[in-house]
Amino acid sequence: MTPTPRPLALLCEVTYRCPLQCPYCSNPLQLQRYRQELDTETWQRVLAEAAALGVVQVHFSGGEPLVRRDLPELVRCARRLDLYTHLSTGATLADEAVLERLAAAGLDALQISLLDAGAAENDWLAGRRSFAKKRRAVEIARKLQFPVTLNVVLHRLNLDHLEAILELALQWQVNRLELAHVQYTGWAFRNRAALLPTRVQVERAAEQVADARRRMPHLEIVHVLPDYFQTYPKACLHGWGRAFLTVAPDGAVLPCQTAREIPGLEFPNVQSASLSEIWFAAPVFERFRGTDWMPEPCRSCARRETDFGGCRCQAFLLTGDPAATDPVCHLSPAHQIVELAVREPRPEPVTLQFRGDHDAAENSLHP
Amino acid sequence: MTMHRPKLVRHARYRWDELRGQHQLVFPEGMMVLNESGAAIVRLCDGRPIDELLAALTEMYGGAGCQPASGAEDETGRLATCPTLEDVCEFLQRLAQKGLLRDADS
Repeated sequence: MTPTPRPLALLCEVTYRCPLQCPYCSNPLQLQRYRQELDTETWQRVLAEAAALGVVQVHFSGGEPLVRRDLPELVRCARRLDLYTHLSTGATLADEAVLERLAAAGLDALQISLLDAGAAENDWLAGRRSFAKKRRAVEIARKLQFPVTLNVVLHRLNLDHLEAILELALQWQVNRLELAHVQYTGWAFRNRAALLPTRVQVERAAEQVADARRRMPHLEIVHVLPDYFQTYPKACLHGWGRAFLTVAPDGAVLPCQTAREIPGLEFPNVQSASLSEIWFAAPVFERFRGTDWMPEPCRSCARRETDFGGCRCQAFLLTGDPAATDPVCHLSPAHQIVELAVREPRPEPVTLQFRGDHDAAENSLHP
Repeated sequence: MTMHRPKLVRHARYRWDELRGQHQLVFPEGMMVLNESGAAIVRLCDGRPIDELLAALTEMYGGAGCQPASGAEDETGRLATCPTLEDVCEFLQRLAQKGLLRDADS
C-alpha cells in the first residue's frame, strides 16, 4: 500500500452566513443546524496544524468570509506560516478599507463571484443587489494590485450570456476568469431542473471559450465542464483524502465541502483532535481513500487513478449508494439516470429555490 | 521575445517546502515544483536586467560560465554545470506563458 500523501490545500469555510442567496450554493441545505462558528484562536491553531501537515494553499471561503471581522487577522496568521492565501468572496462587503486591510495582511489572491453579465440578472440570481458592489470591488482590487479571478458559475439561465460575460471580464481587466458549470449537489441538486443546461448551450459555450482564448491570450480562462455531459466523471478532489481537506464553520473536518450530504459518515472536529490525527487516521478520510473501496467497473478500470471513481456525493444523490461508480461515467451501471436527466426536450425551467437560512427564501428581484 | 528585466508577478510566490524537500512556485490554484536550477533562476527574477541575472547564476554555479551544453544532474540532484543561456530563456518563456513572469521594463 502506498503511504497516505500529505494534503496540499485547505478550504477554510469560516462561516455559512451570507448576504447572498445563490440557488446553487454549496453550503448545506440545513444551514440552521450549523450555527456554531470557531473562534479566531481556534482558526489560528488550525492554520498552524495545516502548515505542519504539509498544506501549501489556504482558501478562505464561506458563506461570505468577510462577515467575519477577524479575516485579515487569519490571513496574516496564514502568511506568517508561509501559506499561500486565497479569498473567495461575493464582494458585497469588500469595500476599500477591508481590501486594504487584507492587502496589508498579505493576501495573495482574490476570487470574486459574479452571477451573470447583466446587473438585473446578477442581482436576481444573488437575491440581492450586488452587481455594482462586485464591479467596484474588482476596481479597488486592481488598484491594490491584487490578482483577481472572476468566478462565474454557469447554468441554463446564464449560458446564453457567455459572450457578454467574456466581454465583461476583459473590460474589468481581471487576471483570470473561471467559468465553472454547476455541480449538482446541495442547493444545485434541488434546483437541477431549472439549472441544467441544454446540450446545444454546452457545446456553444465550449466554442465560445475556445474562440475567446484565441482572441484574449492574456486572460487566463478556466473552463470547468458540466460533468453530466461528459463521458467520464470529474476527478473529484483528485481523490478522496488525497490532496484536499475542508474545515467547516463549526470545526467539522470534511474530505470535501459537501460531504455532509452523505448520511452515515462521522466527521471529526478540530476541537477534539488535531488535523494531522484526523487526516491520517479518521475513518471518514479512510472511507474512500485509494482504490480498495471501489466497486466494478472502477476497480479494474485503467482510469481508476485518473478520475478516482468520480464524485462520492453525486454517487449518493443519484443512486443512494456513496460507494457506487459516479453515474456520470458511461461505464456506470446506473448511467441511465444521467442520460434521463439530460434527455431533451425538457420542460421550460421551473421556479428556482433560493438559498435561505431555514429553507428556500423569497426573492422579488426577477428582471 | 526576450525579457529584459524578468520579474515574478505579484501572485507567484517562491517557497521552500521543508516537509517535502521541494522548491515550489505557488500561484492561484496551482504550483510548479522546481529543480535546483529552476529555483535559482526564479529567485533571481526580481526585475534585475537579464545579463545581471545570468552573471549571478554563473557565479552561483562556481563561476564556470554558462556552458554551451545543458547541465546534467549529478548524484546529489544538484546541477553540476550552469544551465545554458538557451535553457534559461526557454524556462523564462514558459513562466511568462503561464502568466507568472513579466518584463519589469514594459
